[in-house]
Amino acid sequence: MNAIPQLFFDAMSLGGIYAMAALGIALIFGVMKLVNFAHGEYIAFCVFALIVPSTDAVAVMFLGKAPAFLLIPTLLLIGAAVAVASEFFVFRHMRNATPVAMMISSFALGFVIQNILLVVFSSRPKAVSLWPELNQPVSIAGASIPLLQLIVILSTLIVVVTLAVLLKRTRIGLEMRAAAENFTMARLLGVRANVVITGAFALSGALAAAVALIMVTQTGVADIRMGGQIMLVAFIATVIGGLGSLPGAVAAGFLIGAASVILQGFLPLEARPFRDAFLFTLVIVSLLLRPEGLFAPRSSKPRV
Amino acid sequence: MSKLGVFDVSVRYGKVPALTDVSFTVEEGERMFISGPNGAGKSSLLKAICGAVPTTHGRIEVDGDMLNGRSPEVIARLGLTMVPEGREIFGTLTVEENLRVGTGIRPDKPAVETDIDEVYQSFPILGERRHTNAGALSGGQQQMLAIGRGLMTNPKLMLVDEPSLGLAPNIVDQVYDTLVNLQNDRGLTLIIVEQSSARAARVGGRMVLLRGGSVVGDGDAAKFAESDLLKEAYFGQNKAEDAT
Ligand SMILES: Nc1ncnc2c1ncn2[C@@H]1O[C@H](COP(=O)(O)OP(=O)(O)OP(=O)(O)O)[C@@H](O)[C@H]1O
Ligand SMILES: [Mg+2]
Repeated sequence: MNAIPQLFFDAMSLGGIYAMAALGIALIFGVMKLVNFAHGEYIAFCVFALIVPSTDAVAVMFLGKAPAFLLIPTLLLIGAAVAVASEFFVFRHMRNATPVAMMISSFALGFVIQNILLVVFSSRPKAVSLWPELNQPVSIAGASIPLLQLIVILSTLIVVVTLAVLLKRTRIGLEMRAAAENFTMARLLGVRANVVITGAFALSGALAAAVALIMVTQTGVADIRMGGQIMLVAFIATVIGGLGSLPGAVAAGFLIGAASVILQGFLPLEARPFRDAFLFTLVIVSLLLRPEGLFAPRSSKPRV
Repeated sequence: MSKLGVFDVSVRYGKVPALTDVSFTVEEGERMFISGPNGAGKSSLLKAICGAVPTTHGRIEVDGDMLNGRSPEVIARLGLTMVPEGREIFGTLTVEENLRVGTGIRPDKPAVETDIDEVYQSFPILGERRHTNAGALSGGQQQMLAIGRGLMTNPKLMLVDEPSLGLAPNIVDQVYDTLVNLQNDRGLTLIIVEQSSARAARVGGRMVLLRGGSVVGDGDAAKFAESDLLKEAYFGQNKAEDAT
């Protein structure tokens, strides 16, 4: 019987994607209190950066033709650049705006990016074949797992560990954590707001690019709407994880991934089309029980 | 270095005026207390100096450098540091990480390590708990950490907002002893918000008395402790208010 290891790998790989997307959102929220709904469009943008601009139904590889050792860093840089540019041209001018105003402008920015993609690539989903050999199965513990799933799990681990080391061991990481907790106090201690915010956007954009690579390899499709669904799940993960908590975002990403895989596997057949309804019910229940999130950051209130 | 000048400074939050035409100067190495009742504008004054709130009028200078309109991170680079009301330590960071946040602006990186040791000497409990999350410290320990964190920026002028708030009297003694020692060792200029004029008188120094956003007294803290001016500032109504 190989259903259990199969479920495990499905849950881990789906959870890994959600965790990375949620981290991208939590990073920005941490330093700016901005829920960046354009994050999903960063993902879509990175997917389309792989192919030649054209409205044809068949995608011709552009950056996608490059060998992996060039393609991956370049795409991470593109993701970082898009995110940093959006901060520079949009969010920087809204530093003193209310969180709601910032959130709405992130929606607007998302529409702008999506419409640019629409004009250049048309709204028809395109078949994109990036690294098709990765979808070949390998057999582990009696289950046959697509190689890509293993790579996804491994890359999630690498991303999470790298990010943790960066935040824990570097100067900019220290400044980002301090700013996430108390931005004004960090600035009073000389932490440059622009450096920290730009750094957070760059990391967030690179995470979007990583998600884009995984999604396009897994699905073989480039669709200008592909950011929407994952953005929704990632946003929910950041809320359940406790807005702004990075470990919380990762844990909640994995939790939602696992929950949806388990629901998919164990719901009666006729209920499976409604899997997301069950999933979101769980989300609502969890928020009713712990409105501040399952993994809310420890209170930093001074003790008197 | 570090003569501070505050000239006709006003601060308002929306329509609420917090400070109106406040002026005073502080000499290098001087110790000055700011006192006054709740809502007098003491915290707003410190925040205006370090750039945390904008001024609506007037000018603030350190050694001839204009501070108003500059961002807090730039002002920090000019040698000012703030130990805010309520301490505002970073609870999710360790004690030592808290101390390191403000060292990014220092050109003298090697001195950072010796300065950290020095803070641990002044406050041994911080050294013992250097790897604990600062959120787990007691109120007094957090106050010490906030002072140590400010010192780590290697400031010339330190603004301390109500260091005695919520602390047991013996801890307050300890905090003030350390502040005075640090000032003597480093030639720091110190501006301290202190509600207790008796405490200010005991520590010694100059005192500026604020009320309703204006300076109503400026002189030796020891003299204020007995004066009617103080009582009037806290409890009295001035003539203008009586008339309306
Ligand atoms: N963020 C703010 N928004 C609006 N009004 C404010 C704000 N901060 C302070 N005020 C108002 O400005 C005035 C001065 O406040 P401030 O905090 O400077 O007084 P304080 O002398 O430090 O008082 P306390 O002794 O209670 O600390 C008060 O009337 C207060 O209500
Ligand atoms: Mg105050």
